[in-house]
Amino acid sequence: MTTPAAELGEVVLDHGSGTQLSHELLALIVETLGDVYIGEMEDSAMLPIAAGQIAMTTDSFVVDPPFFGNGDIGKIAVCGTVNDLAVVGAKPLYLTLGMILETGLPIARLVQVLTSIRETAREAGVQIVCGDTKVVRKGEADQIYLNTAGVGVFERTPLRMRNVRPGDRVILSGPIGNHTVHLLSIREGLGFEQRVLSDCAPINGMLDELFAAVDEGDVRSVRDVTRGGLAAVLHEYAGAVERTIRIDKEALPIQFETLMATDMLGIDPIHSANEGCVCLFVDPSAEQKVLDALRAHKHGTGAVVIGEVTEQDGALVLMRDAEGRDSVVEELLGAELPRLC
Amino acid sequence: MGKIAVLTNDLQADVVHKTPERTAAMAEAQPRFVHFLEEMRRRGHGIYHLQLVNLPDDPNVERDFDGTLPLQRGSEGAAILGDFLDPSDNVVEKNKDSGFYETELHDLLQKNGVDTVLVTGLQTQICVQTTAADAFFRGYNIWVPSDCVVSGDPEARDRSLEWLSGYCATVATSEEILATLDSDGELARKVVKILP
Repeated sequence: MTTPAAELGEVVLDHGSGTQLSHELLALIVETLGDVYIGEMEDSAMLPIAAGQIAMTTDSFVVDPPFFGNGDIGKIAVCGTVNDLAVVGAKPLYLTLGMILETGLPIARLVQVLTSIRETAREAGVQIVCGDTKVVRKGEADQIYLNTAGVGVFERTPLRMRNVRPGDRVILSGPIGNHTVHLLSIREGLGFEQRVLSDCAPINGMLDELFAAVDEGDVRSVRDVTRGGLAAVLHEYAGAVERTIRIDKEALPIQFETLMATDMLGIDPIHSANEGCVCLFVDPSAEQKVLDALRAHKHGTGAVVIGEVTEQDGALVLMRDAEGRDSVVEELLGAELPRLC
Repeated sequence: MGKIAVLTNDLQADVVHKTPERTAAMAEAQPRFVHFLEEMRRRGHGIYHLQLVNLPDDPNVERDFDGTLPLQRGSEGAAILGDFLDPSDNVVEKNKDSGFYETELHDLLQKNGVDTVLVTGLQTQICVQTTAADAFFRGYNIWVPSDCVVSGDPEARDRSLEWLSGYCATVATSEEILATLDSDGELARKVVKILP
């Protein structure tokens, strides 16, 4: 029988000391993760994997607050790593799960995070293969930090920045800025958190459907629009291909309330972090096919073309306004917006 | 036709006297602000004071230089300033910038049949602005008396009023609002961009 949340107590230092309390916590973690956990308690997970190239990535998660309106740090920890694998064209298979817990964290809260991890892993079709739990004293961490590393396999040609060519269309899979506004609004109680939700989602399913609908090479490269926002992604690509990228300001998908909030806060949605939005560079002849495939998926209904890679040298990012005037999109030196993921 | 309510933000010593600039700005605004509240009461409109109280476990609360938590529940610095308070007024505790964030304000306003709120107090660019935005999202008709909002930073105050006027509120002086109430018997709802 499941123990009621209120009776689970709080995390104590011995939950991380390798003693009986550690084993009890581990049993709870394994039970909560359910069928997405396939670890065998060896010192390393031993996994079947097809011959060929694999993709591997890692990410740490310190989001503040760790529990928000439509998600939590567990959901972000799965999505962040799954999405990093998916955007290079890999099929995400396995994740590790490292947890740093602050003494005093209600275990019911930990169960909430683990439940999110389980549900998001199920949606993404990945399994947790091993993990680690450390406990620190009160004040040495903020409730819970996570790390996930991920392994994926390539069943298609990897997508690389260098594939991008002049003339390629730049497509966003959905609105930008929502994750940042949602979190900042909860931190300060700004009133936007009910109207603007985080976009946090695993996007590998959407990309699978996209790749099945288009020809190899139609999608040149994909990047998830996380820290640094769209501006950072565009600058990376402009630098990598040494061409100027021009985007259309009017085409940027920004929710009205998000625009209100960013205008109030003095931040720009194009510099804001997201957790479920991808930027795609696409052969112009495949533009409509790509849009149709993205829009057919629940995480891509807001997909739009926002610009193109020009022939112009210079590695600039330009934004064209409604009057046809171009302005340079600067890359921020710093954003002073910590702990958004 | 729904009722009209005035919402005040943070009329508390720990907020008003946090900086000399705020104290000076409030001293300049106070006579007409108090007069406006009196006139609204006289016309039968409810006054709801939003009282900011910091919770000790809120990691985002700004503490004093010596680590003291300002605006603690029950403290002198957290009390609504007597010059603005009338026994008939309502006081609603809030713990974040918006007066609606996890408070009883919305339920109270709904229970009392309020559909129009006049958002006042300080600081204009933080609590007034977020409370107005939150009220807008909840379907209220928003008015902001431009001379009954206060900030230690006049430029930020002006930017905020411009934002409010641009997105969600009718901004007018307190005198204009009282005159409109007397002539029209109501405050018309601003036509704003339709939300999805």
